[in-house]
Amino acid sequence: MDDSPPPPPPENSTPPPPPQSHTGSPTDFLKGVVGKRVIVRLNSGVDYRGILSCLDGYMNIALEQTEEHVNGRVTNRYGDAFIRGNNVLYISAAEPL
Amino acid sequence: MLIFSVFKTLTDQQVIVELKNDLSITGVLKSVDQFLNIRLDNIKVLDEARHPHMMAVKNCFIRGSVVRYVQLPAEHVDTQLLEDATRREAQNPNKR
Amino acid sequence: MDPSSSGIQEPFDLIRLSLSERVFVKLRGDREMTGILHAYDGHMNLIMSDVEETITIVDTESPEGSNVSVAKRKMDMLFVRGDGVILVSPPSRS
Repeated sequence: MDDSPPPPPPENSTPPPPPQSHTGSPTDFLKGVVGKRVIVRLNSGVDYRGILSCLDGYMNIALEQTEEHVNGRVTNRYGDAFIRGNNVLYISAAEPL
Repeated sequence: MLIFSVFKTLTDQQVIVELKNDLSITGVLKSVDQFLNIRLDNIKVLDEARHPHMMAVKNCFIRGSVVRYVQLPAEHVDTQLLEDATRREAQNPNKR
Repeated sequence: MDPSSSGIQEPFDLIRLSLSERVFVKLRGDREMTGILHAYDGHMNLIMSDVEETITIVDTESPEGSNVSVAKRKMDMLFVRGDGVILVSPPSRS
């Protein structure tokens, strides 16, 4: 938006590598997010927050230490949870990858 | 395939099929196919007051996809056999 | 090979390890149930015994705003069609 100083001449330094999280395919994202804290949103709007144990090609998901969130409130806790893939709207990383 | 086999062993048994539109039908299981479509004989609708148009129907074919539950006769289900067969099918790499 | 402490490689392993155990199942249509799991397949079709189903009914017509009531029923042996399944939770393993 505002006027920034002109960039330094490019030949001075090698460009930094692009941030890893913005490259790669959806598959790469899914591989990277296994074992991490995630938020799984279902088509119904319900969120599940937990540690992603694993998932398969149908987006069936196994979560650990799961909290069920409805309208921002915790409505259930599960040690383990299997979520049938057809209900999944998205999987979001809840910690840096 | 496993669940299809289970239903086949239950032919000629009394079951209660509950549909996704909340209609519950009891009857004798006459046949089932790989889609879990179901043919029922001697049917009776459990809440006839709510579904009077079903009173004259004696038998029916139910498309598998509209089924929510089927209540099975527990005495004709060998649960140990079921669990073993399920584990065996889960080991096989063939399609589910 | 094993990304987590629980030793499961695919989501269905979670269900397989729950055979003959009491599981919690969340279904479409504000239905939940617990029952002993005896069989499942890749569609998440289930066969369970000793089932208790809970249906949550939200009555928006009631005078004091939205009113929630629950209906419970028990069934001896039940087939549950997989397309209605949202979530299955095994008994907590300690």
